[in-house]
Amino acid sequence: EVDYGNILSKNSIDENYYKGLSSGAIKCKDGSKKFTKAQLNDDFCDCPDGSDEPGTSACPNGKFYCKNAGHVPQFIYSSRVNDGICDCCDGSDEYDGKVKCPNTCWEVGKVARDKLKKKIATFQEGITVRRKEIEEAKLAIAKEEAEISKLKNEEKVLKARVEQLREKKEAIEKAEEDERLKKEKEEKARKEADDAKQEPSKAEEKTDAQEEAVKTGIHDKIGLLEDSPSVKDAVEGHDNAADEEQHNEAEQVPKESSQHPEIKEEPAPNNNKADVSSGNEEKDATENTESLSNEELGRVVGSRWLGKKSEKETESVGAGTDSDHDEALSDNHEEEHPGYDSDVDDHQDDDEHKYDDDDSEDQVDDFAGEDHDSSSHKSDSDDDSDFADTTTTTSPSWTEKIQQTVKRILRSVNLFRTPVNISDADSIRKEYDEASAKLTKIESKLSSLKQKLKQDFGRDKEFYSFHGQCFESKENKYTYKICPFKQASQVEGYSTTRLGNWDKFEDSYRTMLFTSGDHCWNGPDRSLKVKLRCGLKNEVTDIDEPSRCEYLAFLATPALCLEEKLEELQNKLETMNREQPQGHDEL
Amino acid sequence: WKKEEFRDCNQTPFCKRARSRKPGSCNLRATDVSISDGDLIAKLVPKEENPEQLHNNKPLVLTLSVYQDGVMRVKIDEDDQNPKKKRFQVPDVIEEDFLNTKLWLTRVKEEQIDGDSSFSSVVYLSDGYEGVLRHDPFEIFARESKNGKRVLSINSNGLFDFEQLREKKEGDDWEERFRSHTDTRPYGPQSISFDVSFYGADFVYGIPQHATSLALKPTRGPNVEEYSEPYRLFNLDVFEYLHESPFGLYGSIPFMISHGKARGSSGFFWLNAAEMQIDVLGSDWNSNDSMWPLNNHRVDTLWMSEAGVVDTFFFIGPGPKDVVRQYTSVTGRPSMPQLFATAYHQCRWNYRDEEDVYNVDSKFDEHDIPYDVLWLDIEHTDGKKYFTWDRVLFPNPEEMQNKLAAKGRHMVTIVDPHIKRDESYHIHKEALEKGYYVKDATGKDYDGWCWPGASSYTDLLNPEIRSWWSDKFSLDSYVGSTKYLYIWNDMNEPSVFNGPEVTMPRDALHHGGVEHRELHNLYGYYFHMATSNGLLKRGDGKDRPFVLARAFFAGSQRYGAIWTGDNTAEWEQLRVSVPMVLSLSISGIVFSGADVGGFFGNPETELLVRWYQLGAYYPFFRGHAHHDTKRREPWLFGEKNTQLMREAIHVRYMYLPYFYTLFREANSTGTPVARPLWMEFPGDENTFSNDEAFMVGNGLLVQGVYTERAKHVSVYLPGEESWYDLRSASAYKGGHTHKYEVSEDTIPSFQRAGTIIPRKDRLRRSSTQMENDPYTLVIALNSSQAAEGELYIDDGKSFEFKHGAFVHRRFTFSSGKLISSNAAAPSTAESNLFSSECTVERIILLGLTPGAKTALIEPGNKKVEIELGPIFIEGNGGSVLTIRKPNVRIADDWSIQIL
Repeated sequence: EVDYGNILSKNSIDENYYKGLSSGAIKCKDGSKKFTKAQLNDDFCDCPDGSDEPGTSACPNGKFYCKNAGHVPQFIYSSRVNDGICDCCDGSDEYDGKVKCPNTCWEVGKVARDKLKKKIATFQEGITVRRKEIEEAKLAIAKEEAEISKLKNEEKVLKARVEQLREKKEAIEKAEEDERLKKEKEEKARKEADDAKQEPSKAEEKTDAQEEAVKTGIHDKIGLLEDSPSVKDAVEGHDNAADEEQHNEAEQVPKESSQHPEIKEEPAPNNNKADVSSGNEEKDATENTESLSNEELGRVVGSRWLGKKSEKETESVGAGTDSDHDEALSDNHEEEHPGYDSDVDDHQDDDEHKYDDDDSEDQVDDFAGEDHDSSSHKSDSDDDSDFADTTTTTSPSWTEKIQQTVKRILRSVNLFRTPVNISDADSIRKEYDEASAKLTKIESKLSSLKQKLKQDFGRDKEFYSFHGQCFESKENKYTYKICPFKQASQVEGYSTTRLGNWDKFEDSYRTMLFTSGDHCWNGPDRSLKVKLRCGLKNEVTDIDEPSRCEYLAFLATPALCLEEKLEELQNKLETMNREQPQGHDEL
Repeated sequence: WKKEEFRDCNQTPFCKRARSRKPGSCNLRATDVSISDGDLIAKLVPKEENPEQLHNNKPLVLTLSVYQDGVMRVKIDEDDQNPKKKRFQVPDVIEEDFLNTKLWLTRVKEEQIDGDSSFSSVVYLSDGYEGVLRHDPFEIFARESKNGKRVLSINSNGLFDFEQLREKKEGDDWEERFRSHTDTRPYGPQSISFDVSFYGADFVYGIPQHATSLALKPTRGPNVEEYSEPYRLFNLDVFEYLHESPFGLYGSIPFMISHGKARGSSGFFWLNAAEMQIDVLGSDWNSNDSMWPLNNHRVDTLWMSEAGVVDTFFFIGPGPKDVVRQYTSVTGRPSMPQLFATAYHQCRWNYRDEEDVYNVDSKFDEHDIPYDVLWLDIEHTDGKKYFTWDRVLFPNPEEMQNKLAAKGRHMVTIVDPHIKRDESYHIHKEALEKGYYVKDATGKDYDGWCWPGASSYTDLLNPEIRSWWSDKFSLDSYVGSTKYLYIWNDMNEPSVFNGPEVTMPRDALHHGGVEHRELHNLYGYYFHMATSNGLLKRGDGKDRPFVLARAFFAGSQRYGAIWTGDNTAEWEQLRVSVPMVLSLSISGIVFSGADVGGFFGNPETELLVRWYQLGAYYPFFRGHAHHDTKRREPWLFGEKNTQLMREAIHVRYMYLPYFYTLFREANSTGTPVARPLWMEFPGDENTFSNDEAFMVGNGLLVQGVYTERAKHVSVYLPGEESWYDLRSASAYKGGHTHKYEVSEDTIPSFQRAGTIIPRKDRLRRSSTQMENDPYTLVIALNSSQAAEGELYIDDGKSFEFKHGAFVHRRFTFSSGKLISSNAAAPSTAESNLFSSECTVERIILLGLTPGAKTALIEPGNKKVEIELGPIFIEGNGGSVLTIRKPNVRIADDWSIQIL
């Protein structure tokens, strides 16, 4: 018999529980039964929860305790005990003599400790970065809030002025209109006298126009048909359906039609609808396989299993499947994912500017028309640059200037009567247009600022700097772009697929969620989860598609370098160090 | 499902013609009857010349032979073979051993039947049975000798027709067109059809593969509404098949088994690989022009084939197990699988790369869920070129396999029959140079379209090509493979995306000028065979192959497992999986299962769990999913559902010793692992059309839960003895339908009173680590407080068992005493060649009168305690009397007396 006392005595939690055995039977931990000392580890399962067999494989629900001196103690499933595979680094799980497990705890422990130390170092440094960013974020937010109240004031002033100008403008326009109507009346009276019958048929005109449109439509279609090898083949096939020679030739088609690589992407050309009319009652043009070339037929039929269809037709097909949008692939997948731990992240110091560049590029894309200053911190750069054209004169604020101009104009056209002074009217209109354009700009600036500050930047605003940034990662032929608070996409050459729009943070700010991306044929709308890890830089470390059209990315960021977590790691290291066997110095 | 892409009977001229024939239209009579070479020989000639059917006026030759164990074979072929074309006779299916069991006929008895003007020839068939050739009207049947009662007959309705080959005449248009495809049919019409009658039968079963009820519903007759189409046997890759249709799916076995209360079972097999259509004729189908007094207990069927010859086998039964034994004596016993292959398989199209594989593998460990095999679908290859690896995704395939093997696990990769026409692909280059491809009607290499694009197909009818193919599986040739790697054959119908009905044209040409139409249903069989032989060669004949295939034919049971193809994640498909598996099972293919979870679509969590609970009892147990579906590995649905799926899989692992014993039984007798209830309870009429429940062996009854949020399930428990609920341990009466309360934990499963079932209750990572684990014996006593059961053990991988390296125990319990004895005939098992160190840790006694406290073990005179224990450690099940730690060795003789 094997002595398990050793195993048990090291388990401080269980020690108290098993102590009871010395004075007779004790209850299984789940309370279901009782067992005696003789039944403890007697290789027969008495307690359904396995509490009588902590050292054997007898209970399917049991846990085996490895002391793992030199490393950390561990509970393993009882299914691993004496199964011929070394699980505990101290080899204690294999004691039936069938296999010999070397004690690797020191080596394993050393590796683990080194790994942990590195991780701690990353956290320590990351925490500093994070603090700095939080400070900056707070300043920036304060600045933006100030900006908002300033803009609000300006908006108020400007609104009033615009209103005044509008009234004037309308008055002028009213006068002009009156004038025009009067003239028209006179003109009409004169004309009526002139001509008696000359009425153009509006209806006819319309028909002509429609016909024209139809013609061009047809013309376009014919153009398409002529370009499409599929239809050519189809027509031939149809005409010569009885001709066997023709058919056999068609069998050889694949080689020829490989000259048309574009078919590859669109296995189900839509434009052969014309042929459907030939007596076949099929509705779905893509499934009209009757008249396809051999290669196309192969592609079309094969595509059913592959789910490769053009996005357009898919909408109706896949619409039903959207409902099951649950989180099947929950946190389990990545928790153990090797290589995603933050400690992997501290291995590169290169391309410091990568994200700056990406950032500005992105801004140009997305805030087209706005002049963006990429070098400054983004908090106020947007706002300032936005008004660059109007703030050329410094001294009197531009609002004052506007007010003055308005007053001046109003004065000059104060008492007008028909006929309207054209130059006055024009200048009022111009001023009105300018003022209201300015107002629109302020309003939009204000709303975008408000919008921005409405975002959830995290408990400590640690994600503030993510706003307006995009993180990129290249995986094979794809470039993935993750833009927090906005959207995520997959770019291949010139085509962009939306993986999702910004949805929210999840999982206590450890996950970013992008949902409702482009629809997937035979699948859900695309979506992306971004798991966040502590790292010194913002960096996408991996991206994956574990289920079709459900993407998963990992992003290292200082924002996740949390003090509590550091403390936890330090405690863990301390425990590990404590477990180190005496006299086992660094080799 | 694209109905219009497939031909129905009316679009299939031979089928339409045969179906329109009137009973009694056969005008043949038998003449020149004689005995030659131990066979009964006769000529079939027209009674009067039929000027309209000149071509059919030549005599046909009939050969009737008799084999041991009640098998009668009847062949009919043309007499003067057309010099240009011989009709195709299916080679490589009939067992050599079977041919050696031929009984040498020496005597023919003449007898006048039913007042016929001419005699009939009667021969001995087996004890109590005779074979009869009735000369005029022409009819062949097997009958009971003592009372002359027919068992099984051909042409009792006079529907026999045989289109003889003929010269093409001016103006003959033999081409057939379907959609954009033209079949040149250079040899013209050559179909065969005839009626087969099963007497004393209430139902007929078999002829897989169809997604239908197990008891075949009539396809013709006055009250037939369900089907207007006959059951089709034509191997096709059917996209999203329906759950209720006589349409032919991936494989074909022209074997039918009848069963009835009046007599029992008989079976009929037509060895013919061309397209076949089979009508099951409803009672009164021919009431208007009946030739025979109607018999309630008789089922008439009409068999139609496009080409080939008549080569039929009559199996007289009389029990269902007798029929499958007789049938598998002809087409081969199911191969003995490796132990690991009977455990749980994890598949998905596709585990993307090595990291994905490692992750899935470690997740099973992390969640303590056992599995044995991880599968890689087509995406693991370099451009769908089989035997290659995508080296970006799988840079180190050997290392990957070895890492999994270190945990006792295996891997499977897919190898399909379509070969990419790519000059740089070594397989294609060789096949091209050697001229190994199937040819099109003009003699050029047939060029079809499948996953890789333009593809050709090796001509596996040719033994030389099969041998070449087999060599591709050697570790040297298949770079990146290891001995832990096994094979999956998909698309072997063959599936050709741009072919007629998604398969190869019928006028494509094979070795020896055989047209594809003549062997179509055999193509997948040959591919399966060549692959299986490849693994056999790889292991130097010592390692049992494991090959899963989709297409199959009669005899495929010798080459591996079959699954039910691309099913869908729907409740109805869960339900139909049971009749589909049973239909395969009774047709020799005992190692089969459906994709757990459903291939297409996303199963609701509840459906997935129910599927695991049922799938755990399929003979072949694999989870699989289409690549458009969400991930569905068992741990992705929350802790509660993980637990439920873990338990379901664990149940399978517990019963592995039982399953393995059943596989060995199938291997020696053909009796399937999964059995229809009527196979175990042939006298219980309530079971005849029940295909919601099935038996695993003779001891377990399992019923799926096929509806959402079910609270109750109606379970019929057959026979007179009780049944023990495997969760609560309570007894249920036999011969009753019970309203059984179900929870999410489990599906109804019962152990039959009178049986002893061996289990291994300890949970392990995979079956490999269970080798030394102790057994639990579950004894369910019948009303006479008796029970019996068996256990078979061998090394789980090699062929040494064929030389006696196995342990085969019989356990019997009576008069309060359990006895373990050797079940093997002393000559077959050599006790020194294989033994097991395993012990029995627990004996569970169901139905024992309470009060027993101890038991006495002999030899050794050792007393052990009897106490209350759980029936299933993980569940919250009932308490049962348990003999604690008898610790007897499983391989020894011993007895345990309850005191």
